Amino acid sequence: MSTDTTATAAKRPDTPSEPQPGRGRRLLDLILTERVALLAVLLVLVVVWFYVLGQQGYLVAPYDTDYLASALDTMVPLCLLALAELVVIVSGRGGIDLSVGSIVSLSGMAFGFMVGQWQWPVLPALVATVAVGAALGAINGLLIAYLGFPALIATLATFYAYGALALLMNNNAPISTKPIQDLHAITRAISIPLLGDSIPDLPLQVATFLLPVIVVVWLLVNRTVYGRKLYAVGTNDIAARFANIPVRRSRLLAYLVSGLLSGVVAVVTVAQFASARPDAGSVGNGMALPAITIAVLGGVAITGGVGRVAGVILAALLVVWLNAGILLAFEGSDGSQYQLFALGGLLILSALLNAYSTRRGRGGA
Amino acid sequence: MTTTYEQGSAARSPSGAAVLTLTGVQKRYGGVRALRGVDFELQGGEVHAIVGENGAGKSTLIKIISGAETADEGSIVINGRELTAGSTTSALQAGIATVYQEPHLFGELTVAENLFIGREIRRRGIVDRAAQRVRVVELLERIGLAADLADVRAADLPVAEQQLVSIAKALSQDPVVLILDEPSAILTDREIETMFTAVRAMRDAGVAVIYISHRLDELAQITDRVTVLRDGAVVASRPTAEFSVRDVAELMVGHVLETRPMDRAPTAAEPALGVEHLTRTPKFADVSFTVRPGEIVALYGLIGCGAGDVIRALYGIAGADSGEVRVKGEVVSLGAPADAVAQGMSMLPANRKVQGVFGSKSIAFNISSANLHLLSRFGVWMDRSRERSVADDFIRRISIKAPGAGTTVSNLSGGNQQKVVLARQLVERPLILLLEEPTQGVDIGAKDEIHRIIVELADAGTAVLVVSTDLAEVQYLADRVLVMRSGSVSAEFGRGARQAELLAAAAGDDSAPDGATRDAAHDTGPAKGRH
Amino acid sequence: MANLTTMLSRPSRRPVARAVEGQEIALILVLLALWTALSLGTDTFLTASNLSNLLYSVAPVALIGIGMTAVIVTGGIDVSVGSAAAVVMVVVAKLIRDGGAGLPAAVLVAVAVGLVLGSVNGVLISFGGIHPIIVTFGTLNLYRFLALRLFENKQVSGVPGTLSFFGGGDNSETLGIPNAWWLTMVAAALMWCYSRYWATGRHWYAIGNDVGAARLAGIRVHRRTIAAYAVTGLFVGLAAVVLIGTGGLVQQNAGVGLELRVIAAVVIGGTSILGGRGTVLGTLLGALLVGTVTSAITLLGWPSDATELFIGLFILVAVGVDLVRQRRRSAR
Repeated sequence: MSTDTTATAAKRPDTPSEPQPGRGRRLLDLILTERVALLAVLLVLVVVWFYVLGQQGYLVAPYDTDYLASALDTMVPLCLLALAELVVIVSGRGGIDLSVGSIVSLSGMAFGFMVGQWQWPVLPALVATVAVGAALGAINGLLIAYLGFPALIATLATFYAYGALALLMNNNAPISTKPIQDLHAITRAISIPLLGDSIPDLPLQVATFLLPVIVVVWLLVNRTVYGRKLYAVGTNDIAARFANIPVRRSRLLAYLVSGLLSGVVAVVTVAQFASARPDAGSVGNGMALPAITIAVLGGVAITGGVGRVAGVILAALLVVWLNAGILLAFEGSDGSQYQLFALGGLLILSALLNAYSTRRGRGGA
Repeated sequence: MTTTYEQGSAARSPSGAAVLTLTGVQKRYGGVRALRGVDFELQGGEVHAIVGENGAGKSTLIKIISGAETADEGSIVINGRELTAGSTTSALQAGIATVYQEPHLFGELTVAENLFIGREIRRRGIVDRAAQRVRVVELLERIGLAADLADVRAADLPVAEQQLVSIAKALSQDPVVLILDEPSAILTDREIETMFTAVRAMRDAGVAVIYISHRLDELAQITDRVTVLRDGAVVASRPTAEFSVRDVAELMVGHVLETRPMDRAPTAAEPALGVEHLTRTPKFADVSFTVRPGEIVALYGLIGCGAGDVIRALYGIAGADSGEVRVKGEVVSLGAPADAVAQGMSMLPANRKVQGVFGSKSIAFNISSANLHLLSRFGVWMDRSRERSVADDFIRRISIKAPGAGTTVSNLSGGNQQKVVLARQLVERPLILLLEEPTQGVDIGAKDEIHRIIVELADAGTAVLVVSTDLAEVQYLADRVLVMRSGSVSAEFGRGARQAELLAAAAGDDSAPDGATRDAAHDTGPAKGRH
Repeated sequence: MANLTTMLSRPSRRPVARAVEGQEIALILVLLALWTALSLGTDTFLTASNLSNLLYSVAPVALIGIGMTAVIVTGGIDVSVGSAAAVVMVVVAKLIRDGGAGLPAAVLVAVAVGLVLGSVNGVLISFGGIHPIIVTFGTLNLYRFLALRLFENKQVSGVPGTLSFFGGGDNSETLGIPNAWWLTMVAAALMWCYSRYWATGRHWYAIGNDVGAARLAGIRVHRRTIAAYAVTGLFVGLAAVVLIGTGGLVQQNAGVGLELRVIAAVVIGGTSILGGRGTVLGTLLGALLVGTVTSAITLLGWPSDATELFIGLFILVAVGVDLVRQRRRSAR
């Protein structure tokens, strides 16, 4: 048994005895190892790049702040679901939620019934929808944390089951009665009071849904006791047990939160499209895929215990504004195709970067 | 009357030629000399025991022989050729096979596949099952296992048989030298006998076996020579027949200054912790003891004695089948750590890397992780300034060497990491403190500090229960030492017991040492029909 | 000391590694029960045309599942197979429509393209050291991009029936069973043999059990990992051939959602998502089960959306039963 050496002192980025690496080098190191920094730099690069392209006339329409602001409406559901994935992936033991899209569909249909058919007022219906999402998420949590199903399996199963239930609920028909259509008002673009003329009009749901939820989630993971438990459980669930942290309950709550956030997305989506559609969550490859991609891009470690809200938000912004730029840069449907390329490429590159920086002995994002 | 090794089983003389010779091997880890000029000679066809206390250099020596580490100086010659590269593959190629304590089999593969995985006998890519089968049956029979085990899924075997399969696997590589690291640690009596038969067969076939064990009472039955290591050097190397258990224990412990027991006043208060007839088959049986406030009680024993299982049962990590636990006289149920904590218990786990630290997080995070409700407002909101000040306070009080409370714990030395985990458990002064291997892998300075903290806590009224395999630590800290062997308490010592006595009692010396209190359970004796 | 010595006298049962695992027997029984019930309950289930439709529709999922079993056994996963299938389909469809290629050439190209796509995954995972789910999420997007570019914004129509040998019509059967299904069974048998009798096949299980110990034992972990993903790509190529089948139309959304179906089949078939355990036979049975449910729902006149509900339930039941059995095994 080797006795411990005192030579392994705390590693600091620059120890006094070594010559200081140049500032440029230090900045580069920071960017390579701190995901948030990298994303911020990329975001600036993307915005500037497309702005310049627009000025030079290469784009179909100007890439200006008005356009960027209007692009934010796609950011809302993406960012919210990516935050949902953040919470479950951080909880560790292979945590992931493939069912978020189906929860969006199913709770969206519930919302549709409540407001569109049973004439409930919006606010109670909203609360009830979010509660439905939370309940659906809690079922995931039960399967995973208490019954021991691997997260991939359980959420794959509920992805199918919830998706089917959403379709069956109303015989695969959307609900777009008048009360639902009236809801569209909550997602219109509005001008910010007082600042109205100096900044572009934002989609309302950014202010009414996205920002408050971001604040709440940030507070939850960074300032509450539960947040600590979540990160502890995701970092080392055996140590968490010894530290008297309720591991199973914390994980169940993570999936509940994920479902809850999906419920919020359901409301926004119904309002945005003025229709409760049974396949809302399965457009394209499904909503879970981009959400997970953005979470990973944003620095959430797939092994658990690591992930920052700031990273996820920046990643979502990056993807949304990059996609918006690509749409302008290419004609017809080429744009949507290049978006796929950008997403896939970004993901793999950022993962390679992560692997590279871990190998060099530094911590990850 | 001291037990003497009989001439019988150890009378075989080795076949003469030195198969493995180590000369002047030295190894340092940083500033610490783990091995200082070790000379060691191993003959073919002999079973050679290497014994030594934790920290004596045993495991370093084995790592160097098996190729996991490279010696700084000195030579290793095997069968006339010098072993140079420090890699396990080159050691394997030179004919050195190692069997570790924990069997590392592939659970989903059959025994036969496990024996040959990576080295299958193939015919154009396809596994030649017939040819392998012949070898497998032969190997299993040599080990003393039934031939029909060949097609059994490895994970379906009891751990003890998995261990024997590991030995068979090492054998399948036709080694010149076979290293067995604590082979009997997880085996029961009958399996140990089986294992002995296998080892004897290997010896007779000319294999040189290095046998590492703490169980000094086994040495007489299976080994031919014993080499004792202490403080990185060889202190004795003689035929087993010339030793008694007590002799070996004395040599292991040496004439080091016996740690002066502290003058601690015995307390008269009612026991804080009372354990009665605690049983968990097959780990421990009928364990009873008390710990008073201000008292430090140690559970000491060799690996596999059950002490660790007892303490973990007390903390609710693992259950007990029967028996009662009382806290301050009241019977309590301990199904989960939450129950234990509610009773005022606090535990420092044994393996800090796996069970203790949140490595990628800061010191403040780690310290607060077990005290979230205390360091929060309304149990919901983290009080970060208080968290910070508590962490800073501990850093100062127990001298955690770190730049600040925000330092990532995995960047700290082992001793400082251990202090962080300890700090976490001490934020609220516990009624009962449970410690398992509190200074394992910790440097001297941190060790002393941690001991100081433990004693301070006891002085302030905490009842302390320590499980440790570190003799010096046990001797220094404990007001009473309960020696455990094979799952039950076999002897109890007060202050002033000598290290050699403790070791001998734990290793199975049945003689009556000076000053020990015999437990009634010991007189019924473990049903080991030896000699 | 009685407690410690009871272990000595207890006779230990010796469960033996069998050719067919318990989970598979259960699946066979469930399948038989379902088929019996359906033949009795409807007059259309047990007809030749329905059964061959069933087998034809299950074939692509089963084919890819054969490769996916190996991938999951090594402890990995591949969610890019749907997009990869789309790439192969558009390449081969255009090849036979515009290039006039014949069946052998088309199949060869399909397999080759699939192999390349799979190997890219394998290389990124083993040498890049990135978690499989991240890599394959990335290639899912990249391959879909590639496919869409090759589609050039319109579906491929007028694809000739060059590959109809593997198609779903009445003239693509041998002895009443669709050739696509024969292909599947042959492929499954080959893979089954490989993973049981070839040393390198057994290595996949070792890697899934304990990759560190596998490396120490001298197993070439990188090669075996790349092989698993490459083989999956190969089977994606074959599945694409079957999907093109009698020709006609190849749409731009080909393969969307395919990967989840494949993973569902593999998992229902008893392969553990954690690695180290699983067989091709189980995957075939899982795929058949999913296909049977799909067919049953149509024949019984239930809403087709209910199919996925049943898939979800089957996944939970199959994995749940497996979990219980594992726990009982390790409690000895």
